[in-house]
Amino acid sequence: MKVFRSHLLLCGGTGCHASGSLPVKAALIDEINKRGLAEEVKVVETGCNGFCAQGPILVAYPEGVVYMSLKPEDMPELVEEYLIKGRVLTRLLYKEPLSKETIPSMSEIPFFARQELRVLRNRGLIDPEVIDEAIARDGYAGMAKALTEMTPDQIIKEVLDSGLRGRGGAGFPTGLKWKFCAQSPGNVKYVLCNADEGDPGAFMDRSVLEADPHSLLEGMVIAAKAIGSNQGYIYCRAEYPLAIHRVNIAIAQAKEYGLIGKDILGTGFDFDVEIYQGAGAFVCGEETALMTSIEGKRGTPRPRPPFPAISGLWQKPSILNNVETFANIGQIILKGAAWYSSIGTEKSKGTKVFALTGDVNNIGLVEVPMGTPLGEIVYEIGGGIPNGKKFKAAQLGGPSGGCIPAQYLNTPIDFERVTELGAIMGSGGLIVLDDDKCAVDVARFFMDFVQEESCGKCPPCRVGTKRLLEMLNDICSGKGKEGDIEKLIALGNSIKDTALCGLGQTAPNPVLSTIRYFRDEYEAHIRQKRCPAGVCADLVRAPCQNACPAGVDVPGFVSLVGEKRYDEAIMLHRERNPLADICGRICFHPCESKCRRSTLDLPLAIKQVKRFMASQEKEALIPEIRKNEVNAEKKIAIIGAGPAGLSCAYFLARLGYKPTIFEAESKAGGMLVQTIPSYRLPRSVVDKEVAMLQKMGVQIKYGARLGKDYSLQGLRDQGYSAVFLATGNPYGSKLGIPGENLTGVTDAISYLREYNLTGKSMPGERVTVLGGGNAAIDAARTALRLGAKEVSILYRRTRAEMPAWEEEVHEAEIEGVKLNFLVAPLAAISANGRVSALKCAKMALGDYDRSGRRRPIPQKDQDFEVKTDLVISAIGQYIDKNEILGDLNVELSSNGYVKSDPLTGRTSVEWLFAGGDVATGPSSVVEAVAAGEKAAVSIDSFLTGADNAFWRTEKPLDTFFDPDADPTSDVRAPLQSLSLGERMGNFNEVEKVLETSAAICEAKRCLRCDFRAES
Amino acid sequence: MTKITIADLKKIKDKVHSQTQMREGSFKGKVTIHMGTCGIAAGARAVMDSLMEAIAQADAPEVVVTTSGCAGLCSQEPMVTVEIAGQEPVIYSKMDPNKMRQVFKRHILEGEVQTSFALARG
Repeated sequence: MKVFRSHLLLCGGTGCHASGSLPVKAALIDEINKRGLAEEVKVVETGCNGFCAQGPILVAYPEGVVYMSLKPEDMPELVEEYLIKGRVLTRLLYKEPLSKETIPSMSEIPFFARQELRVLRNRGLIDPEVIDEAIARDGYAGMAKALTEMTPDQIIKEVLDSGLRGRGGAGFPTGLKWKFCAQSPGNVKYVLCNADEGDPGAFMDRSVLEADPHSLLEGMVIAAKAIGSNQGYIYCRAEYPLAIHRVNIAIAQAKEYGLIGKDILGTGFDFDVEIYQGAGAFVCGEETALMTSIEGKRGTPRPRPPFPAISGLWQKPSILNNVETFANIGQIILKGAAWYSSIGTEKSKGTKVFALTGDVNNIGLVEVPMGTPLGEIVYEIGGGIPNGKKFKAAQLGGPSGGCIPAQYLNTPIDFERVTELGAIMGSGGLIVLDDDKCAVDVARFFMDFVQEESCGKCPPCRVGTKRLLEMLNDICSGKGKEGDIEKLIALGNSIKDTALCGLGQTAPNPVLSTIRYFRDEYEAHIRQKRCPAGVCADLVRAPCQNACPAGVDVPGFVSLVGEKRYDEAIMLHRERNPLADICGRICFHPCESKCRRSTLDLPLAIKQVKRFMASQEKEALIPEIRKNEVNAEKKIAIIGAGPAGLSCAYFLARLGYKPTIFEAESKAGGMLVQTIPSYRLPRSVVDKEVAMLQKMGVQIKYGARLGKDYSLQGLRDQGYSAVFLATGNPYGSKLGIPGENLTGVTDAISYLREYNLTGKSMPGERVTVLGGGNAAIDAARTALRLGAKEVSILYRRTRAEMPAWEEEVHEAEIEGVKLNFLVAPLAAISANGRVSALKCAKMALGDYDRSGRRRPIPQKDQDFEVKTDLVISAIGQYIDKNEILGDLNVELSSNGYVKSDPLTGRTSVEWLFAGGDVATGPSSVVEAVAAGEKAAVSIDSFLTGADNAFWRTEKPLDTFFDPDADPTSDVRAPLQSLSLGERMGNFNEVEKVLETSAAICEAKRCLRCDFRAES
Repeated sequence: MTKITIADLKKIKDKVHSQTQMREGSFKGKVTIHMGTCGIAAGARAVMDSLMEAIAQADAPEVVVTTSGCAGLCSQEPMVTVEIAGQEPVIYSKMDPNKMRQVFKRHILEGEVQTSFALARG
């Protein structure tokens, strides 16, 4: 071979070709020739490099610089800069998605650095079409050892001792399989390789075939020696033309060298191998079906026993292993069983290759030691979930597998743990699902696949999967019935028990596992006809509306604003949510996170449009009220004038009731006026919408506190026929550390409430706020406005885990609040009876907790003190159940809140309904509004026996929409806010309302997902 | 190709491995030719060609050749940095094909720094 000063290794698997590596290669060679470098630079096409999301990838040696996402037009610049001038072309380097740093070398890119390459050790390093390059990397060395130095028994023992288990799915010990076959009588035996990879999303076997075919051939020869076989077949689907091409080249080259065929390496051992092309039926991945197919018959399974080790291909003893299994063998023989079993878990040794795909940043092929936690694969190697979405589950094992949800991110992935969780290792397809995916729809997708691929030989699979699919289709289209879930489970289990082959026996897994972890989603589809993820088309009018807890007709009010029909817009909004102006200020807008416009550019600024709409209204308009003299006579009590109580009163009033709200404080609004600072929500806005309720006949009684001035039972005794409990979570949790009772230590709820209701506040110059939620941000920004010189927030996790809304955190930083992460308080220290400092511990993120976030763990001997004269804890809120419930026996939920049905607000006491934070724990305004509406509907139905919620009927929309027109090209309206100087020392509202023209423009950005062609 | 023996297998491995070992990041010697515009103008191209030729003749693929940009000392171009594993790099200045061949033979293969053309260590 010639000497080259530089080797350029360009990836060239099927995936790489699809992403355009062939034109890149042509352009590169062309440019190298043009520049006269052909004699000194060598271009090598390798197999898949693994990092498919960034392909095509070129690794340039000797420096080992990795260039990514290449295009043919990049080549002249690359050759000029890198090969001629010797400069690294930074523009084409890998950029870390989070830190935005460029990383030039492969070993420092986390995607590669955390992998352990054994099966894929030659990926991206050799030309798979040149046998010498494989030999240079120890190819066939294990085979040479097995053929010359070992007996068949020794080979089998080595494989047994290594602990290698079949990588095709079931994880049967490979050595044991070989042993059975070796012991089987007969002169003719077969070594078969299953390369019929057919799971959606799995491509590891293809990658081995394309990148390192000799490792497979070597493993097969060793297996043949072990069991005494002279003929092997590789069963590969015809849809893998490049893999077949490269394996054929490899076989031809190995034959020429005498590494396959007669008298291998002069040892007298004969073994021949050929490819059998399958037609791509999923069932042919099942071993008996595969053998039937090689025999030239239709590929259907047959019952076992007899097992293939006794009677396999053409009734001769045979072993069948998949590509990845064989690719391990050469190294096990060369380096020994002890080397192999040095990594992995107790029962699962070595590494596993996963095809990482779905909603994850770094799509590609990864090889990790058995026992690597799922979270590490998804976040460290996979780079996390794109677009700031949340991890919902990982689907492992394809159509035979199941889901592993967020609470199991710590699970060490090995055969046993994965099976316990209801998934299977399978061949290693790992599909990451974000929270935009519907569990029922995922199950339906896989069932559709299995049903299509069922060979039809046995009725449990043929009929059973069809029936499962029909039921799933019904559920997804809103025709699900009560009891369907139980039927799915029962049918699934009986298919598992009775189907003929592995395909049928595992087919119900995706359904059973999604029911196991996401039963609530199935229930939402069946009972509420609602798809929480906003996927199932028949159940979702528009994703924004679907995402709104209150079900506000978002495309409706937005398009009405677009036509300047403001009154109609706000009335439409108030059909489902009375607090339009309040929500225009402080709603956390789940609608925007589901907005489909985000797939074009950025989501619609729905909250800003809402605020603009509500600001057009000077005095709140009164909605449709259906007068009802019978209802008007009934006494209904609502406890708490927060958003849940106000919403319940509003909807009851629309049905003709005259409910009474009991409010403990002197102002209506609950947390809206007690803790949310007025720079976010001006009080005039709350007053406007409360006045609307009063005009509708709602009475509010101030200053009476439940538990002190009256009781629930007392209300009942006074003749109230129904009571809605909406007292919220009025108390801030204590820190539980020494010194928490010192003067100058308080909680955010008390601190904010005191200032907001009385105008007085605890003094503090150096304020320390503890916590990462919205209350922490509110307290910090309030303290700053009250004249504190320095305000810091200490949070025990990192910014990424903060529950506070990013916009608020950003504004706090602009205003000068300091954020300190990975810090937790240990004790408050006093000087003269007042807090003077806070002793803190440094934290580090450890493993994943049930919320799917990494757990903070205190670091030893790194305690430090923070000087402070006011400590505000914002670490949670609680209710006092004795205070609110008194002697009344009401069931509580497992987390200590008042247990109520989320759909109806009913509690264990017939006349008592509950909603909002008192039932759910701290949540959002719009959730509370939704709970109030549901309680109103259910109180009415409790009193009248009928469903009178007329506002729930969808309103026809007559705004203009041209489905053929292109979407407007306007960008999302930026949020305008007060300058820093305008904010300090006052509580003026920070966010500004949109100008009319900007608001109309924004409204017109809506893609109108609600639109349906007239049929 | 003919059928091979186990000894041949080893030979192929050693030979090809020495040609491809740069992909594993290990090498015996590394020569960096400074190929900024100034270097190229001063004749770095010919220096590199002579080096490549010398490596091929000596069958020494364990010596890798890389290029770099201008080192800021344009008057001394063409410059070449020689790194032998485990030793401090040596920079040679005002190189030409002859000098390059000499440096390759005497310094890289035989280990004797050619102080007469050396500009500096490091």
